[in-house]
Amino acid sequence: MADAPKEPEKRAPLPDNVSRRVFLKGAGGLAAGGALGSQAVASQKASAEAPAKTRTVSGRIEIPLSINGEKRKVSVEPRTTLLSLLRVHLQPPLTGTKLVCDRGACGACTVHLDGEPAYSCSLLAIDCVGREITTVEGLGAPDALSPVQQAFCEKDALMCGFCTPGFVMSVSACLEKNPAADDDEVRAACSGNLCRCGTYPPIFAAAQAAGRKLQGGR
Amino acid sequence: MAVQDSSPTTWGPREDMRLLNADVPRVDGPLKVSGRARYTHDIRLPGMLWGKILCCPYPVAKPTLDFDRAQAVPGVRVVLPIEDGLRDGWTRRLGTPIAAVAADTPEAADDALAALNARYEEGDWAVNYDQAVAPDAPKVHEEGNIRHLQVDGDEAAAQGELDGCDAVVEAIYTLPVQFHACLETHGVVVDYRGEDEATIYASTQGTFTIAADAAQILGLPQNKVTVLVEHMGGGFGAKFGLDVPGRIACLLAKEARAPVHLMLSRADEFHTAGNRSGSTQYMKAGANADGKLKGLVARIWKFGGVNRGANPGQPYIYDVPTSYAEAMSILTHTDGSRAMRAPGHPQASFAIESVVDELAASLGLDPLEFRKKNLASPVYHRQLDRAAKEIGWAAHPNKLGPPAELPDRAVGIGFGVATWGAGGRPTCEVDVRIDQDGSVTSSVGTQDLGTGTRTYVASIVAEELGLPVSAVEPRIGDSRLGASVASGGSVTTPSLAPAVKDAAHKAREALFAELAELLGSNPRNLRAKDGVVFDVEESDKRMNWKEACACLAPAGIEARGTFQRGLAGNGVHGAQAAKVEVDTVTGELRVLKMVCVQDIGLPLNRLATRSQMNGGVIQALSYGLFEERVIDPWLGLGLNNGFEEYRIAGTKDIPEIVSIIDDEDRRDQVLGVGEPVVIPGQSAIANALFNACGVRIRDLPLTRDKIINGLTAL
Repeated sequence: MADAPKEPEKRAPLPDNVSRRVFLKGAGGLAAGGALGSQAVASQKASAEAPAKTRTVSGRIEIPLSINGEKRKVSVEPRTTLLSLLRVHLQPPLTGTKLVCDRGACGACTVHLDGEPAYSCSLLAIDCVGREITTVEGLGAPDALSPVQQAFCEKDALMCGFCTPGFVMSVSACLEKNPAADDDEVRAACSGNLCRCGTYPPIFAAAQAAGRKLQGGR
Repeated sequence: MAVQDSSPTTWGPREDMRLLNADVPRVDGPLKVSGRARYTHDIRLPGMLWGKILCCPYPVAKPTLDFDRAQAVPGVRVVLPIEDGLRDGWTRRLGTPIAAVAADTPEAADDALAALNARYEEGDWAVNYDQAVAPDAPKVHEEGNIRHLQVDGDEAAAQGELDGCDAVVEAIYTLPVQFHACLETHGVVVDYRGEDEATIYASTQGTFTIAADAAQILGLPQNKVTVLVEHMGGGFGAKFGLDVPGRIACLLAKEARAPVHLMLSRADEFHTAGNRSGSTQYMKAGANADGKLKGLVARIWKFGGVNRGANPGQPYIYDVPTSYAEAMSILTHTDGSRAMRAPGHPQASFAIESVVDELAASLGLDPLEFRKKNLASPVYHRQLDRAAKEIGWAAHPNKLGPPAELPDRAVGIGFGVATWGAGGRPTCEVDVRIDQDGSVTSSVGTQDLGTGTRTYVASIVAEELGLPVSAVEPRIGDSRLGASVASGGSVTTPSLAPAVKDAAHKAREALFAELAELLGSNPRNLRAKDGVVFDVEESDKRMNWKEACACLAPAGIEARGTFQRGLAGNGVHGAQAAKVEVDTVTGELRVLKMVCVQDIGLPLNRLATRSQMNGGVIQALSYGLFEERVIDPWLGLGLNNGFEEYRIAGTKDIPEIVSIIDDEDRRDQVLGVGEPVVIPGQSAIANALFNACGVRIRDLPLTRDKIINGLTAL
């Protein structure tokens, strides 16, 4: 899936109270401890490898994030994905972004990171510090839908609706870059999204309709 | 006020309809596109724990688990052995749940599963036909692995008929096990806190199929258990009852005395949440040079894992004067098959449509005309003709088969037909309420799988009362509301919609009775249209909707509707055509276009109906081209338990799709079309592949290796 959303290239700055190296030591230690994540073991391993004066961080840490234009502070573990942060750890959570495959194969968890589509299941929350995160809730509300959301409703581009937020995010990012995107470009932009009900044709039609609207037409 | 009994006998003239038989955007669209629709996955409750299940990766094994170590993981509240799938400590099928945990976070629950440090002693198992029928095969069922033999017809007579035929085709057709692959995995949230009631949020096709079992596990009376299904992320036949995750979530919640969120992981969804049974079908069929089928001998093996699998039998839809069919189930130590969109029909369709096509080719006949000669119903004739017209059959050069010299890119067309019952049944109870302020509510406990049920629960009432859809609030997905059928077999619409119509009709009649007195009109002369109630004979007698409702008693009007047999149909057909392009050098197969022609009686919502037709076509395409469960025959492990390895159709696989509602079906009745539209697509594609290049593939999916082998053998 060559055209699937790419992971960001630039790295995010870390919170002031923790250095990246130290944080990653903590994360690596957890991985070394196995999926069990026995934190006592992990801390010891990390300490043994670290210089004597370094403070090892493991367990939870509070990070600042910018989500849908709001500054939020969330307590996460090194392993917490952006998807898990949004759906579980954020209070109140944002559950519009869906967990379906949890391994970057279906696109249901697509969000925008600085305007670029990204799989939130395959990003660590800590890597999103300093980035602008937009979820489907941030695009529009039921009574104030974005042109893409409006077009999805009008063209019936949803059935069960579980894949819909991901498709809305992928189509929106595509049209943001090029409102005149043709059908092939839209299909490429959504090639990392899966739908099981089979709503693809109206999704493509909705993208074209929204593109026309964004270009000022009707 | 009480409502007199007067049920509607007709949906009314189609030309008078504003909202039915029209394109109506679904009412829950804005919630779904903005991420506000709340699915079971999305339920968050105070003090809620995260449940997870460990499933055994081997077919038959004796697990050893370290429960103490799991219990010691920080944040873990409950660790439970799950033993109802074990016999003497041994699992009996691949994917059997063996332990469950509940923890403060999903991450802690994962840690606990890992800490169980599962070790397995492997037993003897059978995961495929050869292993299951071997003389010393381990038994899936105590009476053996070949079960449920069914015989239909006289084999000697059928064989005798074949001996005199001008053309006979004898071949074996194979279809793999397919997964439902619902994007929302199976699961529930059980809100139980050790008190005297519980609420269960469920991703289910049956709001009313859950409370009884949940109540029993929780030790509560059933009337203290409420089931809610606000939105659900796909079912396709796999989601009925409390099921594996529901049972386990109840056990965890009971132990923790706290709410538990438990949704299957994607990998577990593949091996403990059902599947479409695989099929191998031996077919020997004969026809004469005049294009009439004469005889058929069929042997059908169904692969439903620990269940029996499905197949409606042969010759399925076609008229064969003398036929014999025997069917049996081959049991294996794998997850049991469940209903999946038209249980057994896609399998039967592939075998018979292929045989029919092969016979036409062998007799040098047009496969479209050959089909029509062997299908009695004129509905198939008109639908096939319509599909043929839309796909461009008349101008197609390969009507009598592929050319002798193949071009680099060969184009072919194929056909297939469908049948389904889709009838209604008397279960549903719908309440329509009109309040003094003019607000209208239409309530029934049904679930909306994404088919548009919620929308017609409102639009039928809006049509009856002359109001916009937005003026009626649909309330569904709640076991405290009126009873409704479970959504299986395309029965929801024909069972539910007549009851909605009945309730709306009764509510309108009650309103008119009230207003007639006030206006001094005969209630029969009153009409409701465009938000106004008026007398057709005296035009000055009119009130707008709010004024009219303000005249009601404080309790307003409440009318209950029930099933009206006359408003529901039974029996649908359906024809599909596929146009494909094959690269005869590389073997790449692309579907260019698919046409679906479907009768449905009165379409309640043309927009949602066409979407459901598109969806059927796409699922069939995906089945025909990509989908196949793979279990390693030596290790017994499932090899494609994620969407990377188990491929379903994506954006670049989708052809032009033309979904045509067959408006020549003038039945004044509603029907369901969830099932029929998914039946013939893969058959039509396989036939189109042959028509393009002469490669006949008899085992799905139509992968490139098989096509290259076929091209090489030409």
